[in-house]
Amino acid sequence: MFKREIKINLKSFILWTFILCSIFLVVFLIYPSLVKSDNMKMMDELMKVFPEDFLKSFNMDISSISTAFGWLQTEGLIFIYLVTGAFAAILGSNLILKEEDDKTIEYLNSLPTTRTKIAISKITAGLIYIIAMVLFIGLFNYIGLISSEDINDKIFFYLSLSPLLTSLVIFSLSMFIATFISKTKTMVGISLGIVFGSYILNILSTISESIEFLKYFSIFTLADTRNIIVNSSLNPAMLFISLSLTIMFLVLTLIKYNKKELV
Amino acid sequence: MKAALEIKNLTKYYGDILGVKNLNLELKKGEIFGFIGPNGAGKSTTLRCIMNLINKNEGEIYINGILFDKDNIPLKEIIGYLPSEINLYEDLTVQEILNYHQSFYKKDFSKNRNKLVKLFKLDENKKIENLSLGNLKKLGIVLALMHEPEILILDEPTSGLDPIMQQNFYNLLLEEKKKGKTILYSTHVLNEVAKICDRVGIIKEGTLLKIEAIENLHKLNLFYITIISEDVNKIIKELKLNKYELNNNLIKFRNTIDINILLKELTKHKISKLLVEEASLEDIFLHYYK
Repeated sequence: MFKREIKINLKSFILWTFILCSIFLVVFLIYPSLVKSDNMKMMDELMKVFPEDFLKSFNMDISSISTAFGWLQTEGLIFIYLVTGAFAAILGSNLILKEEDDKTIEYLNSLPTTRTKIAISKITAGLIYIIAMVLFIGLFNYIGLISSEDINDKIFFYLSLSPLLTSLVIFSLSMFIATFISKTKTMVGISLGIVFGSYILNILSTISESIEFLKYFSIFTLADTRNIIVNSSLNPAMLFISLSLTIMFLVLTLIKYNKKELV
Repeated sequence: MKAALEIKNLTKYYGDILGVKNLNLELKKGEIFGFIGPNGAGKSTTLRCIMNLINKNEGEIYINGILFDKDNIPLKEIIGYLPSEINLYEDLTVQEILNYHQSFYKKDFSKNRNKLVKLFKLDENKKIENLSLGNLKKLGIVLALMHEPEILILDEPTSGLDPIMQQNFYNLLLEEKKKGKTILYSTHVLNEVAKICDRVGIIKEGTLLKIEAIENLHKLNLFYITIISEDVNKIIKELKLNKYELNNNLIKFRNTIDINILLKELTKHKISKLLVEEASLEDIFLHYYK
């Protein structure tokens, strides 16, 4: 059962990882030539004309895009959060619901297994793929970066792991919501809505202090990016909240899935 | 002796719509029980409730006297289930799904698996998405039977099978019965029931109307009488018939009158044609359905 989950989700894992790695590969290839030119300094100067709040939204007030690592801390991370988040959302939506959509759940449930075992094998496969994606991209970026410049290993390590804090919550929340829904298409829409909606809330919260409270409604707040870049450390509270939410949603998923009307 | 399968007070509603109501049924070990009823009568709902695939509103299922809930793996191991619509993983080949099925059981069933694959002439290299409806049904049968279950729950198993395969399947079930297997056989094909079942339960609008041994149904001695006569209206009056089909001078009714009295009455009239037919099983079932 678990092996099958790994097998059927492998293609999607490879595809999403490939998309992300391709973006970074292009950046790593063109950055060394960009850095040598004067354009980059001009670019940094140009950035200063933007309002501070705007720069803050992209972490450009605390890092410079004149290096590849600087770019990673600004725009690059956005790609990572959104792509890993979307991958986690789609996985969370599909793992349980695809069997119901295809009606194969009737066969699976008639076999000598339990719903808890079915759900656990799906959750485990999902978690493995999300962790594998974050680690693979982290490693890919590390190799790409150290070949051309010096980087702060500690900041890089925390930044590379930070997408886990968001994508695990997105995954577990999507799994839980999926136990209330019966159609995969509806669920993918909802979960991607959560990812992009959450990201927009996060951006908005940095623009003005009056709407800063919006960050409490955004999963991306958990990534704690600004703190990592400024203080070279990860706020343990964020780690705790993220893991607690993940565990809570997964336990609720198991409870609700056991009661769900499946066919 | 404990019943091989017992359904107690089963009630299932889909929202406000009734699926089955207060259904009670006991299957003895080694019997083939025909579960018949028209479409939408509640046959599949009952079978899905037995398999714990859907939540029951009320009622319990017992297998060999043990409460069968959805997490009871040892009991699941001794049940084979064939749904009416078979949905399997289309990306797999026949061989891969058979291997996958085997992986859920500790005991090796390869001998029985090979025997069944051969009997139903299945091509193990074919992908499930490329199987015809009939072949998919055959694969479903192999999956339901390959782990040598003690109890078989079959939901319209022969739909889509050609006559030769149907016969193979009937023979196989009779063989399984000889080995002591208990079979719940849901169908709306009435002659199947007559061929292989020991007892039959008739379900209509979610209620189990009657349980009867097949031989008793034959013994009911039901006759249909068809008469063509100019005096049909007089005959109806004299025989005090309540239910009949009338078409000009032709009348057809199920006879409940002693045959001697009937003949005495009929001799008083000019009869053009008289036809006495033994009711088929189909007539008997239709009698319950109406």
